[in-house]
This record gives sequence, C-alpha cells and structure tokens, in this order.
Amino acid sequence: MSSTHALRIAVDIGGTFTDGVAEDVESGRIWVGKTLTTPDDPGEAVSAVVDQLLARIGDPQAAGRVADVVHGTTLVTNTLIERKGVPTGLVVTSGTADTLDIRREVRYDLYDLDLELPEPLVGAEDRFEIDERLGAAGEVLRPLAEEALAELVEQVKAKGLSSVAVCLLHGHVNDAHESRVRDALKKALPNVSVSISSAVAREIREYERMSTTAANAYVQPLVETYLVMLSKRMQEAGIAGSLRIMLSSGGFTSADAAAETPILLLESGPAAGVLSAVNAGLLGEVSHVLAFDMGGTTAKACVAVDGAPAVAHAFEAARVRRFKRGSGLPIMIPSIDLIEIGAGGGSLASVDNLGLLKVGPQSAGSEPGPACYGRGGEKPTVTDADLVLGYLDPDNFLGGEMHLDKGLAEKALADLGAPIGLDATRTAAGIATIVNENMAAAARVHIAEKGHDPRAFTLVATGGAGPVHAVEVARRLGISTLLCPIAAGAGSCLGLLAAPARVDRSWSKPSLLAALDWNEAHSVLSGLHRDATAELNEAGADAGAVDWVLTVEMRYAGQGSTLNVTVPYGKVDESLAPALEEGFEASYRDLYGTTVPNAQLQTVTWRLTGKSGVESRRFTWAADAADKAPEPKRREIYIPVRQRYEEVDVWERYALPPGMVLKAPLVLEERESTLIVPADGRVEILPDLTVKVVLGETS
Amino acid sequence: MTRNAIDPVTLEILWTRLVSAVDEAAAAYVRTSFSTLVREANDFAVVLTDAKGRSLAQSSMSIPSFIGTLPATVKHFLKRFPAETLKPGDVLITNDPWRGTGHIHDISIAMPIFRHGELVAFAAVTSHMPDIGGQLRNSGIREIFEEGLQIPMLKLVAGGEPNEAVVEFIRQNVRVPEQTMGDVWGEVSACRMLEARLGELLEESRVDLDELGHEIRTRSEAAMRAAIGALPDGEYRYRLEHDGFEERIVIQNHVTIKGDSVHIDYTGSSPQLPRSVNVVPIYTFSYTAFGVKALLSPDTPNNEGSFLPVSTSAPEGTILNPSYPAASGARGMIGHLLPVAFMGALADLLPEKVQAPGSANSSFTISGKHAGRRYASVNFLNAGQGATAKRHGQSTLSFPANLGNTPIEVMESEAPISVLYRKVRRGSGGKGRFNGGDGLSFAFEFCGEEPATVSFLMTRIKAASPGLHGGAPGEIGALTLNGEPIDPARHWQLKAGDKVVMETAGGGGFGEA
Repeated sequence: MSSTHALRIAVDIGGTFTDGVAEDVESGRIWVGKTLTTPDDPGEAVSAVVDQLLARIGDPQAAGRVADVVHGTTLVTNTLIERKGVPTGLVVTSGTADTLDIRREVRYDLYDLDLELPEPLVGAEDRFEIDERLGAAGEVLRPLAEEALAELVEQVKAKGLSSVAVCLLHGHVNDAHESRVRDALKKALPNVSVSISSAVAREIREYERMSTTAANAYVQPLVETYLVMLSKRMQEAGIAGSLRIMLSSGGFTSADAAAETPILLLESGPAAGVLSAVNAGLLGEVSHVLAFDMGGTTAKACVAVDGAPAVAHAFEAARVRRFKRGSGLPIMIPSIDLIEIGAGGGSLASVDNLGLLKVGPQSAGSEPGPACYGRGGEKPTVTDADLVLGYLDPDNFLGGEMHLDKGLAEKALADLGAPIGLDATRTAAGIATIVNENMAAAARVHIAEKGHDPRAFTLVATGGAGPVHAVEVARRLGISTLLCPIAAGAGSCLGLLAAPARVDRSWSKPSLLAALDWNEAHSVLSGLHRDATAELNEAGADAGAVDWVLTVEMRYAGQGSTLNVTVPYGKVDESLAPALEEGFEASYRDLYGTTVPNAQLQTVTWRLTGKSGVESRRFTWAADAADKAPEPKRREIYIPVRQRYEEVDVWERYALPPGMVLKAPLVLEERESTLIVPADGRVEILPDLTVKVVLGETS
Repeated sequence: MTRNAIDPVTLEILWTRLVSAVDEAAAAYVRTSFSTLVREANDFAVVLTDAKGRSLAQSSMSIPSFIGTLPATVKHFLKRFPAETLKPGDVLITNDPWRGTGHIHDISIAMPIFRHGELVAFAAVTSHMPDIGGQLRNSGIREIFEEGLQIPMLKLVAGGEPNEAVVEFIRQNVRVPEQTMGDVWGEVSACRMLEARLGELLEESRVDLDELGHEIRTRSEAAMRAAIGALPDGEYRYRLEHDGFEERIVIQNHVTIKGDSVHIDYTGSSPQLPRSVNVVPIYTFSYTAFGVKALLSPDTPNNEGSFLPVSTSAPEGTILNPSYPAASGARGMIGHLLPVAFMGALADLLPEKVQAPGSANSSFTISGKHAGRRYASVNFLNAGQGATAKRHGQSTLSFPANLGNTPIEVMESEAPISVLYRKVRRGSGGKGRFNGGDGLSFAFEFCGEEPATVSFLMTRIKAASPGLHGGAPGEIGALTLNGEPIDPARHWQLKAGDKVVMETAGGGGFGEA
C-alpha cells in the first residue's frame, strides 16, 4: 500500500516489552509492534520495533513519511533505582556541603526503629564548597571569587568526574553565580556536563532543589548519549522526522531539551499511560476521567478534568521503601499526579497478628509468582483469587501461552483462610474485596484532595489486571460508567501519540499579594515566556496554537500549604490581583468549606505552562474485526453483590463489532487482559473498539 | 478461635475505612494550618472515639504524644459535659495541660457525632497553635500563668451557635489572632469532615459502631498482650540523667512485666521544678507507651485496646506528675527521653532490639521588626540518635517526635539572619561496636536593623547521651553567642553582627568499640 500521508510513530520501553505504534495522521489508522526490551542497550529494541512497524505498513517509502517519533523511556528511573549513574560532583555555597546528608531531619515511619534512609547520589568526598553568598532577595552578599573558580576546576579534574551539579543558596532567585560556575567549568572542561539548579528546578528549598539537580547531573551524560545514538539509528532507518521525548508532566519536548534536563523524563512511561486513558475519555465525551491502571505489582490512579491530568510538583525517586512517602530522593519536577499503591495481580495475601486478612503491598514478583503459576509459590496472590473466582481462564492466560493451575490456587487460598475460618472461595472473595477497597480508598482520598466528587467521574481501565478489577473499584466509588480502551500493551503508545507539546517554567518568590513587586514579576515572567517559547518551537509546536497558562501557588500568609490559582497568561500587572484573590477564595471554600477572615494572601511560586492545544485522537485498527457473527462461551464467575457464582457469557473481545450492545454480568476476553463485569449493566462496543460499561442499566 | 460477630474481611475493610476517614480529615487540616509545628512536624492529631471516649482510630502520621492524650481529653469533656447534655452542633474546647496534651500551646477540640438522634461518637482534634500569648517558649518559665492564655473546658459552639465571648477572649490574648483562630476553626472543619465520612460509612455498611469498636479494641489489645506476654516476667530499671538547671534532672524507671501486661513506675525521678520542663501524667503515659509499642509491637494499630496492657505511675509532685500551677511548655525535653529510658531498662532482655539513648530536638525562636514588618520564626535542630546492636545511630534525625528542619532559604526569607553553616558534627556520636549518630552544628549571624528577641530550647548541653552495653556516650551540645557560652533558659537580645552557634549532641554508642 502506498500513500503520501504523514506517519507518526510512538515507542514505549517497558520492563519486559518495548511497544510501538505507528499512526497514519490523516486516517487515524494504526499499526502495532512489540519486541522484548533490551536492558543493556534499550535503543536496540526501539530500532527493532520501528523496523517492525515500517515493515507492517507495507510501503517501501514509509520511513520517509515519518514526521516524528515520540518516545517514552524508563532510563532515568532505572538509572536512579539501580544507582548506575556517572561519577558526579556537587558545588554548593560555603557551609552547606552536608545538606544532602542532613535532609529534612524527619522519619517517614514513626515506629520503625531500623529506619533506612536513601544514600545521597553524590558522596561527601565529591562535594565542593565555593566562597560566595546571595541573600534571600537575590542580592550579592559576597561576590564569587575568580580564584575559587580556578581551584574548583582543578578539583573536578583531579577527581575525574563526568558530571557536576551546582546548587547555590538562593540560586532560584538569582542565577548569576550558578551561571558563572557553569561557564567556568564548561570552558575549562568541555567534556564534563554541568547542571545548575536555577535551570533544573527553580524553586525555593535548598535540600529538595539540590537533590533534584544532583539527580539530573547523575543521569545527564547517559541520557544524552542514549538520545544521540537513538537519533542516529532513526537516521539510519531512513527516518527524517524528529525525535520527541515524553515528559513526566504529560507533554513532550525535543530530544535536545530532554538531553539537557533529563530528570524531567523521570515518570515518562506512566504519564503516557494516563494520557492514553485521558484520550479515551475525550473520545467518549467525558469531562471527568479517573485513569485506573493495575499491573503485576502496583495500581495507579490519576484524575483528569477536561482533558488535563492533575500535575504535581513534588515527586520522589528511588524510594528505599517503595510505598512509603518520604523514603526516596525528593525530585522537584512537574509530574502527572499519580497515586500508586501496592496492589497488583502479584500482591500477596496474608493474615496479620490481629487475625485480619491483608493484601499487599508485598508482591510475589514473577519468581516464584502466584501459586497458580506452579513455580513453587505457596502464598496466594490476587491472581490466585481471580482464578478461583472465575475471572481468569486457566487455559487462556496471556492468550494461552501460560497455563494456570487452579488446584494450586485453591490450596494456597484454603491454607491461608483456615486459621480465620474462611474456605478457599470466601478467602478468594475476601482478597478481591480487600484489594478493590484498598484501591477505591486511595482514589477516594485523591479525588477529595482535588475538591471533586467521585460520582462525577468515568473510570478508564488499563493494565493487565485493570479491567479485571475496574468494575468493583468503580462500584465502591459510586462511579457508574467505565471505559476500557483497546490494546493494553500498546496503550502507552497511544498516549504518546495523543500528547501535546509542553513546557513548564517556574519562579519562587514569596510575597504578600498586596505588596507584590509587579514590575519584577512582569520582567521575570516575560523572560521565562521567551525562553519557553523557544523550547516549544524546537519541539515542533505551532506557536500560534499554544495555550499559555499561569498557575500561582498561593496561601494565607502564615500557612505552609498552597493552593493553585490558574489564570490565562497575559498582562502581568496589578490588574491580575483581583482574579488571583477571587480564584484563591473560591477553591479554598470548595476544599475546606470556609475562608479565613482578615488573613492576608501570599503568592509563593509562579508556574508558566505552554502546551499545544488538547485534541482527542481517534485511532482505527489496521486489522479489521472478523465478519462472522461472534458466539459466546459460558463460565461461572463470582458475583460479589449476590455473593454467589453465576454462569455468564464469555466473549472474545475483538470479535465483537462496533455498535454491539450486551447485557452484563459478562466477561470479555482479550490476549493481554480480561474485562470482568460482575454486576448488572449495559455493555457497548464503541466505534474505536473501546468498551463502554454502564452499571445498573440493563438494556 | 472464637466466632466473631464481624468476619475478618468485613472488619479489615471497615477498619481501613475508619483510619482512612481520620487521615483524610487530618490531611485537610494540615493543608489549612497556620502553625509551623503542624506542617513541618505533624504536631497535631485527629481521633475518632466511640460515645464513651474510647479511641477507635487515630491519624497515622501524628506524633506519638497524642496517642494517649486526645482520647483522654474526650473522656474529661464527657465528665464536664455529660452525654445527656450534649446536642448536635456542639463543639467543646480546652487547652488545660492536665486534661489536654500537657502544655497550653495545644488547643483541643471535640465534637459529639449524633446518628438518628443518638450520640454515637466523638471527632476530636488537638493542635499546636501559632501562638497562645504569654512568654516566648523557653525552659526557664516558672509557672503556667507566664505561659499564656488558659482555656478551661468550654463550649466553643453550642447547638451550632459560636460562643462569641470565648472567641473574643482568645483573640484578645494571642499575638496573631487571625492565625490562632484560623487554626481553631480549621480544627472544627476537620471534625465536621470526619463526621460526614463516618456518616457515609455507617450508612453504606449498616454496621453498628459499638460492635465494630469492640472488635477493634479486643483484637488490638490481644495483639499487644501477645507481644508483652512473649517476654519473661521480671523487673527492670534504668536511670537517665538530663541537663537540669541547678542540678541534673533524673528519670528513674522501674519496669514490671507480669504476664501479658507491663507497668512502668517513675518513683525516684526528680521532683517537680519551677521551670517549664514538667510532664503531666497523660504525657508521661503517652511517650512511655510509644516506647513500648515501637519496641514490642510496632504494627499494632493505635486505639484504646492497644494501650490497655500498658500503665504508668509517678508520685505526685514529681517531674513526671507535677501539680498545678506547674509550667510545662518545654515538656518535650524530658518526655522525649521516656521511650529510650524504657529501652534502656530492657537492654539486657532484648539486646538485639533496643536503641541507645540519643537527644531530643533543640530549637530557637526569633522575633522582632525588620523593614517595617513584624516577624516571628521557630526553627528546629535535631541531634544524633543512639546506636543498636545492628547499626550506627542515625545522625541529625528527629526521635521520638518528628520535627523537621526549616530550609535555610526559607529561614532567611522569614527573619533577618544569615546562616553561616549547617553541618554534621562528624565524630560527635559515642564510639562503640556501632557508633552513636552525629549531632548538628549550626551558626547564624543576625543582620536586622532593629534588635531582635531570641529564645532557645537546648537539650543535652550538660549531660551526654549514654551508650549501651559498653558503648561510649555521645558528645554534649553547646550554645554560644559571639563565642561565649550562654544560658538557654532565658531570653536574649540580638543586634546586627551578633553570631550564634548551636551544636546538638551526639547519640550513645552500642557495644564496646
């Protein structure tokens, strides 16, 4: 087949598989590719998938038609977790060399006497104090001495460091000293990469900013090499289009910008998954989306209103205790606000010292894995419970590649339940109920913290175990509508294709709103806007179609937490004050039911975001659904509301034509997952093969 | 196993939801709070009790001092305002140290929750206020009258109508009325949120709260008793010294493990002092109970049941059971030593688990006027903690409270000071097979136009944190002004160019080096 339509390609590197999707921009038609991830050289799998896709398109000219390749990667996360970064140095203001050791002096678990804390990425021997000092308003208290710079260059050279982070006190207000340190190092040591805090995370709080800058420096040379290699591979494949990289914030940027500040890619993979769910929501004309993903070890959820996923600005990497907030390295970057809990197919069930049934956060992993894998696991997992409840077909797991042993699952469940008086079925139902409630509880709090009512949301389910549990999670939240988009494996790639180009810039300067220096705000924000526009242009966004918004973090003077007030970015002067005040009071009242009389308003951090307009993308499968009329199988599944097994229809999902309407309870099977609707409801196949479930409705 | 009224799956779910409801109210409260101690240090708690004031669930990240105090406060409220006199829309308030949390800086609020006209529960919140009037907190204060406004047990809101007299009295007596009252109304909002969440839960599950409470209490109690019962019966003692003033303060415990319960008596500890370091009985109990739980059964949830097997006593008129009008604003200095004192007593019984003593936090409060603006800022400094049989002590970490530091950049934005350094005092932990954690060394120069008032809480600047099983004691801390040691138990004036150095102590080592 030959065409002149432009193509876009998305590639996502996961733990096991590297997935790829190609899209014909004009028709929305897509092709899917997949190969095993190559951890030693991830670019190899990327190339392989791109080759696969080009071959599947079947046009010898396909490579030349590719306008861009959008890419999400776990390279940054993995490098931090495995501590495989480059030898990195850290330059700080005199008197602050121990900041990474001192941290914030708090414990993340009150009762754990053997608390483990994350080791800093830069050891004490590779930190250099430099004689200079800025004040809180950015004024120079002690100038930076030239001799100090010369000495620093010698030290960095002598230590043989490949990368250096620079984080000076109040560098977020005035970047002059940091820039001079960078220039001096770059000039004398052109092969050493330099990250300065004012460019990586321009925010107040030296420990968190230093930690973020150090992490950026630690991964920078690796990511840069990787991206350069990848660009080369694309060129060799005949692709002229540019390489774009997915950011944690849910936008993409150019490969060059990504190589400069790679820490912004930290959560690139999960962000793509959320965008895929958001896109499904937009197509379903849904304004409030709860993206719900459940895999082997974790479940993730994120709210998105009007196509915009919630974004948070504080994140943690490489936690010592995976599900303990505060046990990782703080990273201040804009990142899609995902909640993550230890609930997946592999989560282990146990009975605690109070005689209660518990599920997770520990996971059986893939070795030994769930009891039903027959690899020696004796403790029951969520997957074992799902099998016994009829939610999984022992002969059709992963498309039949793996047989599940129901007898082993039953034995493990019975053994666990016996001491607390539960048989295998009741233990299985208990595990499913508890894991569903754990996920619903986390989502309930997350939604409440954003000031929303869960009943207004549509749940979009992805991930291997997501569709198995989604209906029960939704029911617990009072959500009645669910969407289940196609192809869980390629889902993140669809998210990459739907992502907008995006840049974020921030500036921290606490000030009373009434006493704000509007001239300064105007001049700083204009500078950030210029800089951000340049980056967006580089990323290929159409400058005229960019939405600019200004988000101001505000609070009552004296409070510690802030609320975000978002206004369109335009004139920055006194005329903005009433909008900020009204915006703050309205959301304060929404969240806390009241405002504080006589209190003064304070602005803390200004965030400028530019992104290309949000549009929904409708994809069409290359392989059309079969023509023959589908026939259901029948099997018994457990219906929680009625606390008994019932025989229901089991359909092969991709045999169902668009427009078909079915009555639940039922099961829809596909290779990567199984959609279980264990309650009364109406199930409809939408034009793009997304499955829509409306609970309670029966026709 | 006996047959339970609620099956283990339903119980797990309802229990998790109760804790989650309390945590949600707590998170909302932190976000609206004006107090540094609340947001940097979680110095507050939210609790849900049954109609009798028995604790059912408590906010997970709250500091240990409130484990025992807040449910006790609800019971005191019930004595003053018996159940039959309470109405929907009532909100009760107090900051009485003996019935509250041990010092007047925390205001406790309780709200009765009704269902179908019947009292079923209480939502309660206690929180460290931005200000309560009186002197800036320091350890030299002699009587409660100097510490600030005392709020007896009153109705802040009666049947939905705010009691304006109470509000006006509070406003008139504190330095920052908007912020203090802002936090009080924030506490009330948190109670209302908890009321709403509990209502939804009871409506959806149709569970009887008393039945649920019974399960929660009995199972927690059984788990704690099992942990204590696993230890042999016996009597154990430990003596720990603290700086004191004219003479050292002594904490002497006497731990009796008998069957499945433990009693800790403090006879032999120092008499009550005319200083603000006195610890009221409920605070003595709370920090002792924290030590018992952390050492023996860290995973058992906090509620009335888990602490029934633990009891404490101290003779009246002593530092751990003082009489009115004792001052108690700096109670943490002594109270924070009770968990390690408990571990010290059990050092021979559980040598693999106990932690050697370390030091509580220090702090400084600075206030004045600069560039036409009033400022007041509180900053914490932590110290070295003790080593164990398995690891070195943690350096510059808060224990057993959880008080974070303030970033230098924030400190310098709030007050006219310039920080010269904040560094680890390498080698200040006591030597041993495992060394104690290191303390902190912190220096700043004052650079304000007008002189400022500064007060300090310094701890372990005379008596070192001892080691365990042959480990050496850590180094003591120090406080100097322009190079001269100064007494932290009073106020000081700072003028431009003055230089303050604060050093916190190292933790005790474990085992012979």
